[in-house]
Amino acid sequence: MKMDTPLPAVRLMDLHKRYGDFAAVDGVSLDVRKGEFLTFLGSSGSGKTTTLNMIAGFDDPTSGQILLNGGAVTGLPPQKRNIGMVFQRYTLFPHMTVAENVGFPLSVRRLSKDEVNSRVLDALRLVQLDRFAGRRPSQLSGGQQQRVALARALVYEPQLLLMDEPLGALDKKLREEIQIEIRKLHHRLGVTILYVTHDQEEALRMSDRIAVFEHGRIVQVGSGEDLYHCPATAFVAGFIGNSNFLRGSVAERRSDAAIVKLGENSAVCVPVDAVGGVGSEVRIMIRPEEIKLSHALSDAAGAVIPVTVRERIFLGDTISYEVATRDGQSVLVREDRARNQGRCVGPGTDAYMHIAINQNRVYKKY
Amino acid sequence: MNAAATSGTFREARAAWPAIAFLFVFFALPVGALMLRSVTDPQWGLQNFSDLLATGTYARVLFNTFLVAAVVTLMSLLIGYPLAWLLVMLPARWQQVLLAILLMSMWTSLLARTYAWLVLLQKTGVINRILLSVGVIDAPLPLVNNLTGVVIGMTYIMLPFVVLPLRATLATLDPALMHAGAVCGASPWRLFRSVLLPLSLPGIGAAGLMVFVMSLGYYVTPALLGGTGNMMLAELIAQTVQSFLNWGLGAAAALVLLCATLALYALHMRYLDEDA
Ligand SMILES: Nc1ncnc2c1ncn2[C@@H]1O[C@H](COP(=O)(O)OP(=O)(O)O)[C@@H](O)[C@H]1O
Ligand SMILES: [Mg+2]
Repeated sequence: MKMDTPLPAVRLMDLHKRYGDFAAVDGVSLDVRKGEFLTFLGSSGSGKTTTLNMIAGFDDPTSGQILLNGGAVTGLPPQKRNIGMVFQRYTLFPHMTVAENVGFPLSVRRLSKDEVNSRVLDALRLVQLDRFAGRRPSQLSGGQQQRVALARALVYEPQLLLMDEPLGALDKKLREEIQIEIRKLHHRLGVTILYVTHDQEEALRMSDRIAVFEHGRIVQVGSGEDLYHCPATAFVAGFIGNSNFLRGSVAERRSDAAIVKLGENSAVCVPVDAVGGVGSEVRIMIRPEEIKLSHALSDAAGAVIPVTVRERIFLGDTISYEVATRDGQSVLVREDRARNQGRCVGPGTDAYMHIAINQNRVYKKY
Repeated sequence: MNAAATSGTFREARAAWPAIAFLFVFFALPVGALMLRSVTDPQWGLQNFSDLLATGTYARVLFNTFLVAAVVTLMSLLIGYPLAWLLVMLPARWQQVLLAILLMSMWTSLLARTYAWLVLLQKTGVINRILLSVGVIDAPLPLVNNLTGVVIGMTYIMLPFVVLPLRATLATLDPALMHAGAVCGASPWRLFRSVLLPLSLPGIGAAGLMVFVMSLGYYVTPALLGGTGNMMLAELIAQTVQSFLNWGLGAAAALVLLCATLALYALHMRYLDEDA
């Protein structure tokens, strides 16, 4: 560890969690910076909750280390870690009022009654629920309950806030509303947040960085833009944003580059170390908005592949096409309506697909 | 009563008539007839009740009954609550083992179990002999033929009636609540006091009431483990009716028992209603 870098808020060192033969978490290493909003993104069962539970102290890792602010927390029970947490399920204490719920962590810490009251009120104002202080959790909507849970997790000013799919049970509109609220709170309070979701849109909207989980491992960590533009694996490419995977095969390997044949008579140049031997299969990922359709051949750089337009869907600001290559691969294309004006590529017609190959998106396997 | 019962349609109510008739003929009628004898036997009046309350030995029996029932309720709750918690928290396999032990003991003959306690608790019994040989005591403890024996035996017998309803209550509580509480900084003891206990109060109330009411009218165990000097109400009823053929006094004692039970039940329902 270099001396001039500040201590990370959370450091996970080769974390493993096994249940019998099954590795729920299989070697996770990660540094979370102080004040960062980092999201664990991955499909269900990829080990996000298990990792979070080990950080919170509900589960002990089978092996590996967890450091909070530079100190190892192995064996430290959850109540001694000074962490705040919001769960997917509603976990307000049903026999307490909203104010009592939010005040619970403070009265556990033996603060005076006045201090508890004023801080509870502040915390409830933060989530705009101060009017509901006297209500029972059962008298609140799901969104309100989660906001109270957020207030309860923030009221004692923990160093770290864990959120495990806190908006999973809410409908889309409400979810987006609270997403913005959480984002604002993060800016205001500067607390380090570890957020879990399986919704890539939510991850992109909220996070400073995203850690993508697959089979108990982190396959890539980076900002949303990093992940979108340079996905490390085909899995990440498929998980974040819309994507097309074009099938091709290696035609030639040179010292500096390899030639990949796409379809009948188009070929592209790709980094040689991204592909296997001559004849092996290759996947090239292309975002729908990076493809241009036209009836005429242009001499722009990149590859040109003849296609047949199967469908054209008008979506307001964009127009979406489904096209098929000569060898039957289906490709999604999205064009800006403004850019597209005048050029009308109708369904059933033949056209050319112009693509610029991003050298970072060539994969040996899907 | 609950909403489902009051909102039943006429057709559903009609379907219940045979059952109600059955209950009336075979339960309400005989019990009513017996209760009537408390004021008609040997002559009209409240003589039997004043006998029951004014005579020292009878009053003592009443006192014993309520005392034993209260202590047994308390003890079985104290032992049963942790057991119920274990039953919820243990891995499924161990849950089944524990449950099997509990149910097996429930299904074994009551008489056999009570005699087993007699063997364990008597002066030359296993417990006294172990304590003597270890040197904890110099003379055997009087563990049986007194109320101590009754309380020990009955607590054991009542245990399943506490554990099973409490387990049902505890199983409905979301473990995530405990996680949330722990993350908030609460120690396990604080969590128990502030979250688990208040949330399991309805279960504790129901289980406690059941045990208390069952204990009030219990016959076999007090009769075998209590000895002659420490009678409980059920024994008194049996004795007055069987040995002395004093139906009036027996009926009066039974009525007292019934009223106490009904009063407790009413109290409990009232408490549940307020809670809801
Ligand atoms: N207590 C447990 N016993 C056995 N397997 C478990 C246990 N907890 C989680 N798992 C398994 O570990 C994997 C990861 O689970 P989890 O961390 O909850 O995934 P996620 O939160 O990403 O959906 C899942 O396949 C799950 O079935
Ligand atoms: Mg999860």
